[in-house]
Amino acid sequence: MLLRTVLIAWLSVFATASVPAAELRVYPAEVLLSGPNRTQQLLAVDVDNERAIKDHPSDVSYKSSAGHVAKVDASGRVTAIGNGNAVITATVGTRTATAAVKVSGLDQPKEWSFQNHVLPVLTRTGCNSGACHGALAGKGGMKLSLRAYDPDSDWFVLTRQALARRVDLTKPAESLLLKKAARLMPHGGGTRIVEDDDNFTLLLEWIESGAKGPQANDAKLEHLEVFPTHALLKPKDQLRVTARAVYSDGSKEDVTGWAKFGSSEEQVAGVDEDGVVTVAGSGEAAITVSFGTMVSTLTVTSPFPNKAVLAASPRHNYIDEFVHKKLELLRLPPSAQCTDAEFARRAYLDTCGILPPPDEARAFLADTDPKKREKLIARLLDHPAFTDYWAYRWSEMLLVSSRKLPQPAMWAFYRKVRQSVADNLPWNQFAREVLTSSGSTFANGGGNYFVLHKDVSELAEATAITFLGTSVGCAKCHNHPLEKWTQDQYWAFANLFSRVGLKNGDRPGEVLVRSRLDGEALHPRTGVPVPPTPFDGKPLPLDSPIDRRTYFADWLTAPDNPYFARAIVNRVWRNFMGRGLVEAEDDMRVSNPPTNAELLDALAADFVKHKYDMKHLMRTILQSAAYQRSSQPTPENAADDRFYSRYLVRRLPAEVILDAYSDITHVPTQFNKMQSAAGDSVTATAIYPAGTRAIQLPDSLLLSRFLEAFGRAERVATCSCERTSDASVSQALHLNNGVTLNDKLRDAKSVVSTWIAAKLSDVAIVDRVFLAALTRLPTAEEKKRFVELLREAAMEGEQSHREAIEDFLWAVLTGREFLFNH
Amino acid sequence: MIRLDAHRPATFCDGTTRRDFLHAGAVAPLGLTLASANRARAAGNGTDNDTNCIMLFLVGGPSQLDTFDPKPKAPAEVRGPFTATKTNVSGMEISEIFPKTAKHADKFSIIRSVYHTAAAVHDTGHQMMQTGRLFAGGIEYPHVGCALGYLKGGRGELPPHVLLPKPIGRTGGNLPHGHGAGYLGKSHDPFILNADPNAPGFKVPDLLPPDYITGLRAERRQKFRDAVDGATATFEGSGAAKQLDDNFALAYKLMSSTKAREAFALDKESAKTRDRYGRTRFGQSCLMARRLIEAGVRFVTVNMFETVFDEVTWDIHGSKPFTDVQQMAREVVPNFDMAYTALLEDLADRGLLSNTMVVALGEFGRTPKINPAGGRDHHPGVWSILMGGGPIKGGMVVGESDELAYAPKTRPVTPGEVAATIYKGLGLDPHKELPGPQNRPIPLADFSVKPINELF
Repeated sequence: MLLRTVLIAWLSVFATASVPAAELRVYPAEVLLSGPNRTQQLLAVDVDNERAIKDHPSDVSYKSSAGHVAKVDASGRVTAIGNGNAVITATVGTRTATAAVKVSGLDQPKEWSFQNHVLPVLTRTGCNSGACHGALAGKGGMKLSLRAYDPDSDWFVLTRQALARRVDLTKPAESLLLKKAARLMPHGGGTRIVEDDDNFTLLLEWIESGAKGPQANDAKLEHLEVFPTHALLKPKDQLRVTARAVYSDGSKEDVTGWAKFGSSEEQVAGVDEDGVVTVAGSGEAAITVSFGTMVSTLTVTSPFPNKAVLAASPRHNYIDEFVHKKLELLRLPPSAQCTDAEFARRAYLDTCGILPPPDEARAFLADTDPKKREKLIARLLDHPAFTDYWAYRWSEMLLVSSRKLPQPAMWAFYRKVRQSVADNLPWNQFAREVLTSSGSTFANGGGNYFVLHKDVSELAEATAITFLGTSVGCAKCHNHPLEKWTQDQYWAFANLFSRVGLKNGDRPGEVLVRSRLDGEALHPRTGVPVPPTPFDGKPLPLDSPIDRRTYFADWLTAPDNPYFARAIVNRVWRNFMGRGLVEAEDDMRVSNPPTNAELLDALAADFVKHKYDMKHLMRTILQSAAYQRSSQPTPENAADDRFYSRYLVRRLPAEVILDAYSDITHVPTQFNKMQSAAGDSVTATAIYPAGTRAIQLPDSLLLSRFLEAFGRAERVATCSCERTSDASVSQALHLNNGVTLNDKLRDAKSVVSTWIAAKLSDVAIVDRVFLAALTRLPTAEEKKRFVELLREAAMEGEQSHREAIEDFLWAVLTGREFLFNH
Repeated sequence: MIRLDAHRPATFCDGTTRRDFLHAGAVAPLGLTLASANRARAAGNGTDNDTNCIMLFLVGGPSQLDTFDPKPKAPAEVRGPFTATKTNVSGMEISEIFPKTAKHADKFSIIRSVYHTAAAVHDTGHQMMQTGRLFAGGIEYPHVGCALGYLKGGRGELPPHVLLPKPIGRTGGNLPHGHGAGYLGKSHDPFILNADPNAPGFKVPDLLPPDYITGLRAERRQKFRDAVDGATATFEGSGAAKQLDDNFALAYKLMSSTKAREAFALDKESAKTRDRYGRTRFGQSCLMARRLIEAGVRFVTVNMFETVFDEVTWDIHGSKPFTDVQQMAREVVPNFDMAYTALLEDLADRGLLSNTMVVALGEFGRTPKINPAGGRDHHPGVWSILMGGGPIKGGMVVGESDELAYAPKTRPVTPGEVAATIYKGLGLDPHKELPGPQNRPIPLADFSVKPINELF
């Protein structure tokens, strides 16, 4: 049934190319003009399935039902004439659509607000940008706040500073503000507005009416609407975008002319400064519209140029419904499902960070139970290596390391993380326990989180990245340019973390963490504390005796928190699927939307419903057909790297490769040298017994040229960017010439020695290497080739034979089939 | 005789000279696709005398007032603690703390009116000064040296673009720094040394095979590796997997080429020469840059610092963990003064300066007014850069800043124009088009951006 609906939808998409069949709509459908100086631009757009599919910029005519209320020009701009109601009808060919217009407040004096009109003009024209007067030191002696985050001081600067010449109330036209901006006199910043244009007139009228500053009863910007919000277009299509501000007094205003536009993917769709979108390629792009402190987006979908889309791809659970919906929309046929061998390899690697042990692989491949994949998933989620792998991941995220922590504290922190993974502690509980930790950092490891982030800003920012998956650092000094967070919100958020008390314990390096009853984070601009407030949450009165950390944890882990579950779900999804629904995994913001928002919402809701059970989340992902797809691209989906039409190939993490080398060669890696935190000295250490795996290390300071070359995270800054999976020539050189792999291969106790001692045949050796390293048996051709090469070498003597086996193993262990998860 | 180790003849079982290994290494020329090898052919790959370039990146953003744009007449809180000194070019004055540089002013020109209008964070400047553009809309642009490498390929076995000693690390903005090949693909990234050439006993990490890996074995390993890798088509669409193979190809090249190995062997230089450049990471990197250019590398980027946080750098905010003006004058400036002049002199002595551009630039300038911590903050409003060598005229001053070194007064120059100038100096049409994402043509520099023609 679903398939049929989609098919019909598609047919209509094709049809619109020639005969418009979709519904004609006018945006916005309800126009509110509340004041003598208001206009609204209308858009006439064909809409199908709530997505704009065609813009009608010129082949449309508009008509007002009541000319004495509102008039509309040929371009669709509505102007208020008198209080009352009117209906505007747009006609395209034989089709019509209407917008209801309500005009009010025409009897009020025409007035421009400093906050809602004057500052947006200065922002749009770039006057208060970082390059001009918004710079920290201002420009040419005038300093405005960056993108108007401080209206009070901006008003002071414009009307009081410089002998009040910038705004001349007696001769408004002589104001420097106008003469400079319009370059009627020399201006280092050039011409920002044109004399007598709308912006010029607005500023002039504002001055004429007394140049009033911010008022206590100013309407506050509450919301930014964008029309349309979704579009389904093809390359070279154009679409106009309209932005409308919604204020606290119920008024609405067309702010398209003052908004700033940007695209997340220029290769898919670009946007010009007036908000006209032009589609360039296939895929999805988010068009970001920002005005004042608000950011909204329009999603532009441009299907790939494929004909067939509906493959008989299986659906295992709700994940597949959402993935398929997206693939169908984008006309991306999914790849086939993966083989059992491929599934086993990737499931072990993604869940436990190990390769399938050869005997387990054999047994799995031989098993005829149709439910064997599900059974393997269940086994892996209870595998001892599961704890190693996820304890390492979360330790990395939390910066567990002896870089800043003394050994006992680092171990306590690591044990806390590890035990939580072993117990499958629900994620909300884990977050709460870390964020409200008290007592000795040697006994209660979670408290070290506060030792690592002593500064209140650092603590607030690290917490936002770790548990909310978002960076708020920009808002520390000014309103966030890419997000809705203001500087005021930042300091309200930071103040939640201002009452963490740290004092030295009895033992060296021990810290006692507690919640204090006093302490405030002062807003740097005002010098006074802001009531502690979580993002979009309720403020806690400054004099409230409630523990601020507990208050924050309550907000964070509330089932309706819009960020917490999505943040962790995205991280876990990325681990298994190779790319986050939001990428980078900790860069969640309105202007960087998910590639499949419905899926992210569904995963988060399911996660909350299952009480933040990590294993449930992982099981759901592992069981999905999307996870179990082949990594082989088809010609139709080869260009897709983010909609999960196939399993995404990626290099194994550094630690996983190193451990696999140890496992396959039977020669463990020794971790017996520590770097100093400054990286300038190396000391011997005996903490880690032989056989310790890289993934079991609680510390990031163990000396390992291999881990360094392959991009281990340093655990200095809370950022997923610390870990790199880029390939470099240094890695190739190290694999060729470095000691890591070469020493394991030629070790007297290596698996090569064992095989030779056991007089294993070349055929058996080739089989074993393939199975252990690649979880598959060699093809007949491969087998023939390698056996022959080994036999040739054997003719030159035992030493030559051994070297050839080492070289064969080396070649397999440095090849892409081994180094990549696929 | 093929030698895997420069100090020792390679050991072959049959004791004869074998060229197989070299051939094996030559199969995939050095990070070069066939297409770029073809492009390179036109330029006479291997023997050409095209202009090279050394880019000294002064990470942190040097203060224009305390370096090459002194304002002795400005108020004390602006002009700073140092005075101006004459150079060997009449009328050109620079800060007195660069005594050696002052004696070589005929070899370079100063551009005193560079500015940018993006956010005043390090990362944006790094992007713009290395690629000519600010990254936006999901597109990353290539470093000038990577674009050159893409267009001309390497000379012989050497990579076209080498980055010393390490890429720029964290500088606060969490944005890409523009040291890579961007949309051209990672195959055209520079070869990164990733080691400190001033470290005692410096060697390129893992450049030489251990003695038990003979030429025969190395050759066999590659043959085996190709045989395993031929197995599956899964990786054809994966850029990362392709990159792995390209890197192995380049690694083989470097291992098997005596010339390549020797280019990195700083211990072949006399102690006197090494001292002349200064026994610092930057000094020895400059010396290595000269060796690399001599050996045939087309473009060398030298990052003076890796980060602005844990080092004494040009980032002179004054407050911890940053440097102040005095510390800069004591430690950073002499390091530069010595290495930069040694490089210019050495290149000139060896006849290399005539076809090797040397540009020294930072990501922005500093605020004119000294702050309460005795430092200066970020100021992309105007700053100075140095260009010389190759076709670039020396002894000129291009553009000027205003009385306070606050903004350009005449001939403002954008980062895009600096990049266009480097392209022109390299003998490339600055508006030549490269295949961008989805094969959209993107010119090296935007069509409206012109090189600084008075420098030629």
